[in-house]
Amino acid sequence: MTFRTKTTAGIATFAATLMLSGAAFAAQCETADMAAMDKPGGFPERALTMIVPYGPGGGSGQVARAMAEAVTAVTKVNINRDHKPGGSGTVGMTAYMATPADGYNVLEHIDDASSAHALDSSKPNPAEDLIPLVTSQVTFSQVYIRTNETRFTDWKSFVAWVKAQGGKASIANVSKEGSMERVSMKFITDATGMEIQQISFDKGAPRYGALLGGQVDALFEQPGDVRKFLDAKKFKPILTIFSERPAAFPDTPTHVEEGMSFAPLVRFRGFYVHAKAPADRVKWLQNAFQRAYCHDSYVAYNKSKFMDAIPSYRDTAGSKELITKTIGQYREVYKAMGLKVK
Amino acid sequence: MIDNFLAGTQALFSDPFTIFIFICAVIGGMLFGAIPGVSMLTLAAIILPFTGALEPAQAIMLFAVIYCTGTYGGAITAILFNIPGSAENAPTAFDGYPMTQNGQAGKAVGSAVLCSAIGGVASALVMMAATEPIANWAISNIAAPEIFALVFFGLAVASSVGGNTIWKGWLSVILGVMIGTVGQDPIDGVNRYTFDFVDLAAGIAFVPVILGLFAVSEVFTQAEKKAVGTYNAPKFSLNFPKFAELWREKVAVLRSILIGFFCGILPGIGATLAAFMSYGEAVRWSKNKEEFGRGKLEGVISSETANNAATGAAMIPLLALGLPGGALTAIMVAAFEMHDLEPGPLVFWNSPDLIWVVFAAMFWANLSILFIGLLETKTILYLLKIPFQFLAPLILLLATVGAYLTRGLVLDVLVMFTAGIVGFLLRRSGYSMAGLVLGVILGKVGEGNYARGMQMMHFEPFSVSTGYFGRLAPIDLAFTTIYLPIGLLLLIGGLITLAASVWAALRARPSQMS
Repeated sequence: MTFRTKTTAGIATFAATLMLSGAAFAAQCETADMAAMDKPGGFPERALTMIVPYGPGGGSGQVARAMAEAVTAVTKVNINRDHKPGGSGTVGMTAYMATPADGYNVLEHIDDASSAHALDSSKPNPAEDLIPLVTSQVTFSQVYIRTNETRFTDWKSFVAWVKAQGGKASIANVSKEGSMERVSMKFITDATGMEIQQISFDKGAPRYGALLGGQVDALFEQPGDVRKFLDAKKFKPILTIFSERPAAFPDTPTHVEEGMSFAPLVRFRGFYVHAKAPADRVKWLQNAFQRAYCHDSYVAYNKSKFMDAIPSYRDTAGSKELITKTIGQYREVYKAMGLKVK
Repeated sequence: MIDNFLAGTQALFSDPFTIFIFICAVIGGMLFGAIPGVSMLTLAAIILPFTGALEPAQAIMLFAVIYCTGTYGGAITAILFNIPGSAENAPTAFDGYPMTQNGQAGKAVGSAVLCSAIGGVASALVMMAATEPIANWAISNIAAPEIFALVFFGLAVASSVGGNTIWKGWLSVILGVMIGTVGQDPIDGVNRYTFDFVDLAAGIAFVPVILGLFAVSEVFTQAEKKAVGTYNAPKFSLNFPKFAELWREKVAVLRSILIGFFCGILPGIGATLAAFMSYGEAVRWSKNKEEFGRGKLEGVISSETANNAATGAAMIPLLALGLPGGALTAIMVAAFEMHDLEPGPLVFWNSPDLIWVVFAAMFWANLSILFIGLLETKTILYLLKIPFQFLAPLILLLATVGAYLTRGLVLDVLVMFTAGIVGFLLRRSGYSMAGLVLGVILGKVGEGNYARGMQMMHFEPFSVSTGYFGRLAPIDLAFTTIYLPIGLLLLIGGLITLAASVWAALRARPSQMS
């Protein structure tokens, strides 16, 4: 079986997994049991610490704040957020692994932890070295252009225009080695045969400003991060990189509809605890974080970030499945890209 | 503009809690600027995590006010203890500290108060008039290639700041740039110079570097003097400057405002370059050049007017381009991000109310320097009476806390003490501490924009169509519109500055050798 056929086969499985997890979420929110929140042996008798491996202003910082507030609202237990940015999440992950496995320390992390493990197995596997408490955000990527763009108006005309530029067209991206963005763009360029210069921005504002000011021709991003531009009709999506059209974007074709057969990579964010933390404390934390996902404030936050466009919720089992599948997916991709997988 | 300013002022002063924050920021900025070993940066780093609970306008205003009053406050320690609160106060110490040793501390501090207020208010007025048009223009015309060219120009000028010779100035800047490359590269995320030490992947933060180079190394220097018996406690005086004395310096004030505003616009340099250039121009235009460095009032006035004039100007690249002009404006970026905001052209579109509250707060904060500063000065002068053996441990303790709080990493404390030792050794060798710090700050900004700029220009920077020659920005004049290759002009400006400084150094070499 070739890499291409493997990824094609993966699309159906991926979509089915997402739909099933949506059903599980509905059941979880309905059956949440207040009694399950009884503190095991008095735990926690003080505030929890949440290590966030990214700055307070980005997507991870925001979801960490929203989740911490929701957990506090549900349990009346405070959570101190400790931001340790740098090294694409490795500084925070390392700091977390050095904390005591007593249940008082939890971690926020994104799919970068899975892709890092896929590339280098000496790095922690979030599904084995940690216990996922909840995955609270799963989202897809899109390609955006300016709404007032006249050179092209949709995906087909964009691809034709890019091909006519002989490699001079550009797209703003976050293209660190092995990242979801870089891998997805490789899928797209391989599938379409277009040659496009990827401009790597490590900060959101200059990335979005580059498209708004006409410094680049397109932008690769997730919808929640550019919602204000979409609402203001400054940007418009021309391609959704997902297996089917999300209800929030009924007029935007998917990459499958545009003839690309790769399995989409998703961005996901979740919360973890040490695998060796006491089981009763882990259970309390699972209940707390999973119920916090259903809290009104967190639901509103996720909605504001388009995180309700596809099912975002994963419980511990669902998260492990997602992480394991993602690691396998990245490993295949890295090998196909010729990267050295350790 | 006036309507917006009045609306911003009304928003600022209509809520008791916002007024309380404003007053705390004014006083806190002055105090932390004045207390040796800590600075407005330390205060900003300490309070940053707590500002998440404030309204966005309150939080951003808080840092903007601290920036204004702290820039002035840093002059106090520069004048009284030869410890600049931050790099932009360094030239203030050149004449301010000798004035203190001559028993004229009151006159020096009083002049710093008045000139900081004048420079800051003038700058705030221009900022209010100019920032939004510049932001609208910049989004379409200033991108990575131009920002890299700006950084190159800034580095070329920075090399002439603070070192005994141009060569030592350049070595200082290059060392700073090299330090700035530690950690992941901004494009591919590849680790460099981390030696498998994970925390280094996050890079070297510049706040611990500043604390080490200025505060810790000064403690070491003074301790050495104490140990060998050459330490002289500064003299206490409360003589304020007379109006006639200040009026005589009106040309220096005006010149410093212009220099300060121009330099403040350069991202990553701002107030520091402004203070040094203004001081340099004061020396260049003076008929009594030999009096500088021995306690000349004009030296203090030139430095302090310019660095506060740069505060408003430094907000333009921050707000218009998302580029921090210095250490504190970089912390302001984090404050923006904590509130789900990102400085840059879009902030005018997304949060106009917030921007005008900040503008109004900066205007009133600069005016406050005049009134509160004069009241505060008499108290601050009593710091001169604290014995060194009590002051030094306090400085080290506060600096250590400030360094750790930057990112919550022990690495930053180690960096601070290492920088302190390096600074102690480099100072006596005539290297530039300001140049080193500028290298760290500008190096990081410049590297990412160099790489992105090359990608944008398809790795053909001198292509007529897509390179610097083809990147023409429209400049509207009253009668016509001209198109200028801004990036190219800045690169040429940097090269000319570089060539001129090398030429001057080569001509001066025989006398230096002798």
